[in-house]
Amino acid sequence: MKRLLLLSAASALLVAGCGSSAETDAGDGGSWSYTSGDGKTYTADSTPQRIIAQGEAAAALISFGIRPVAIYSNDPVEENKSLKDLDLSGIKILSETYGQIDAETAAGLEPDLIVASYWPLEKAYGGFEAGVEDSAKKVARLADVVGPAEGDSVEEKLAGYEELAVSLGADVDSTDIAADKATFEAAVERFRTTVAGKEGLTSLAVSPAEDLLYVAVPGEASELSDFERWGLDIIDPDAPDPDFAYWENLSWENADKYQPDVILMDDRDAANSLQVAQGQPTWKNIKAVEAGAVVPWPAYWIHTYADYAEQLDQLSDRFETIDPDLT
Amino acid sequence: MSVTVRAAAPVEQRPRRRSRATLAAGFVVLIGVLAVVCFFSITMGARGVGLPTIWKAFTDYEPTNAAETVIRELRVPRTLIGIFAGAALGLSGAILQGVTRNPLADPGIMGINTGAATAIVFAIMVLGTQSTSTYVWFAFAGAGVATVTVYGIASFGREGATPVKLALAGAAVTAILSSVTSAIVMTNVSALNELRFWQVGSLAGRYFPVFWQTLPFLVIGIVLALGTGRALNGLALGEDLALALGQRVRLTRVMMFVTVAILCGAATSACGPIVFVGLIVPHLARMICGPDYRWILSYSLLLTPIVLLVADIIGRVVVSPGELQVGVVLGVVGAPAFIALVRYRNLAEL
Repeated sequence: MKRLLLLSAASALLVAGCGSSAETDAGDGGSWSYTSGDGKTYTADSTPQRIIAQGEAAAALISFGIRPVAIYSNDPVEENKSLKDLDLSGIKILSETYGQIDAETAAGLEPDLIVASYWPLEKAYGGFEAGVEDSAKKVARLADVVGPAEGDSVEEKLAGYEELAVSLGADVDSTDIAADKATFEAAVERFRTTVAGKEGLTSLAVSPAEDLLYVAVPGEASELSDFERWGLDIIDPDAPDPDFAYWENLSWENADKYQPDVILMDDRDAANSLQVAQGQPTWKNIKAVEAGAVVPWPAYWIHTYADYAEQLDQLSDRFETIDPDLT
Repeated sequence: MSVTVRAAAPVEQRPRRRSRATLAAGFVVLIGVLAVVCFFSITMGARGVGLPTIWKAFTDYEPTNAAETVIRELRVPRTLIGIFAGAALGLSGAILQGVTRNPLADPGIMGINTGAATAIVFAIMVLGTQSTSTYVWFAFAGAGVATVTVYGIASFGREGATPVKLALAGAAVTAILSSVTSAIVMTNVSALNELRFWQVGSLAGRYFPVFWQTLPFLVIGIVLALGTGRALNGLALGEDLALALGQRVRLTRVMMFVTVAILCGAATSACGPIVFVGLIVPHLARMICGPDYRWILSYSLLLTPIVLLVADIIGRVVVSPGELQVGVVLGVVGAPAFIALVRYRNLAEL
C-alpha cells in the first residue's frame, strides 16, 4: 500500500513536471502494485503493458489515456452504452456476449493484466462471475484481474480507475480530463439543486422483464448510491432476492407494491424494456407510469466523467418536470 | 387391449370397456372438476385478492384498481389460455399417438415445438421483430412447416409415412432446427433472454392480446380434432385393415397432421413449448376410457386443461411470492408419471 502511494505520488509529480514524456518514464519503471476492489494488493516486477479489459472498464481506462490491447463486452459493442461512441481501432474484441470470451485469442495476446470492476455481492470481477462459461474462466487465469469495486459510488469507482491508470503510466493531468471533471462537477451541482427543489420526491429504480418486474436495491448500484448521497430519495425494496441481492423480484401481479413519484427505468435496452412493461396490464397501475413520470436510469454502465455528466444533466432536465406530490 | 395395472399404479384394474353411460357421467364430472380448477386458477396467485374484490372485478371492473386488474387482465386470460391451449395440447398428443401408432408420440417427436421456436428466433434475430403479437404468427408458421417437412420426408418410399420413419424424420428435423436455433442464439445474448420463454413454456405473462390472436386457430383445431375419432379407430386396427375397411389412409393421415400442426402451432404460440402434458394425458384418458378414440379425445379435451391448470397453480404456490413456469412443474411432476406409465403398461398395444 505504501509503495503504491509513493509510486502514484512520484508519477504525479513527474507528469506535472514534464508533460507527456512522463508516461514512458512511469511505464518502464520498476515494480508495479495496485490495491484492487477485492481488498488485495497486486504487484508485478514491471508495469503491465498488455491489458485486456471488460468493455466498461476499457471505457474508463481509455478516458484516462490507457488503451487496452483487447476488450470483452457483455453485449454487441455498437449497443454497449459505454463503448458505442469510442474509437476502438487496434483493439481486439474478444466477446460481445456475456459469459463467453475467446480464450484462445486472449492467450495469444499474452496479457499481463486484466481489468474489470469488482462486484462485492458476487465476490467476482465483471465477466468472471459464477456461471460464466469455461472459456471466460480460462481468461481469468492468464493474468491478475484488478479493478475498483462497484456498489458504493461511481465517483469513487472512477477515482479508482484513475489511480489504476496512473499506476499504469497514464498522464491524467490533461486539459480534456480536467474539463470532463469540471463538467461533471457542474452536473452534480445541478442535480443536487434540482432534487433539493423537489421536496418529498420519491423514486424507484426498476428493470422490467417478461416474467418479473425487477426492483433495484439502490445500495448495490454505484450510480443509485451516488444519487441518494446527492439527495434523491430512492425506495429501498424490502425483500431483495437472497441469491442475487441487486434486485427484489416482483411478480407482475404485485407491480404496484411501491408507489414512487418517479420511475427510474433501466436504460440498457430501453426500447425493449418499455415495450415489455407496456405489455403488462398492471404497469399502468403504478401511478408514476400513469402520470408519465418514467425517466431513464443509466444502470450500472457509467464509467467516464463525460458519460456521467451527460446522464446527470438529462436526469435533471426530466426531474424539473416531475410532480413530487404525486404519491 | 388388456389393461394390466399393478396395485401400485394410480388406477386399479378395470374392465375392458366402460358403458357409455358411465363414460358420459365421467365426462360431466370432469366438467365440474375443470370449473373448480378454474375457480382456484382465478383466486390463487402471487397477490392475495379477496373474494369480494374478485366479485367486484367481474361485476363492476375498475381498471385503476390494481387488484381488479390482476383478476381481469392477468388471471382470467391466463386461465382461458390454459383451458384452450391445454385442450389443444391434449388432443394433438392423442391424435399423434393414434396416427403414428406410437405410444411415445408427442408434439416434440414431430419437431413442432422446435419448428415454432426456430421461427421465433428467426423473427427476432433476422427480421428484428419485437412485438409478442407477431411472434405468434411465426410460431404458428414454424410449427406448420416443421410438420409438413417431417411428414414429407417420412412419406418417401413405397410404404409411405410409417411410424418408424416418422419418428426418425422427426428426430432428424428436430436436430437440424435445434442447431440452427443455437447457431443464431449464440451470437446474441438478448435473443437468448427473449427465448427463455420459448424454451420452457409458461402461462404467466400471457394476456388477452395473445389469447384473442390464437383463439380462432385453437377453436378450429379443437373442432377438427374432435371429428377424427372414428378415423383414428380405423387406423388403430392397422393400415391394411383400415384400407380394407375402405378408409383413405393417406388422406386421413394428411388431414390429421394438418390438424395437429394447427393445434400445436396455436398452443405453442399461446404458452410456449409445453410437452409432457400432450404425452401423458392421452394415456391417462386411454386408461379410463379404453381404446375408443372418440372417448379418448373427449376426455383429453377436459383432462389436459385440468392437468395444465393444476400444474400452473402449483407453480404459483410452491415458490411464492415468485412463480415456477408451468413447463418446469410439468417436467418435475410429469417425468416420473411418464416413467411409471412406461413401466406399468404394455405400450406396444396402441
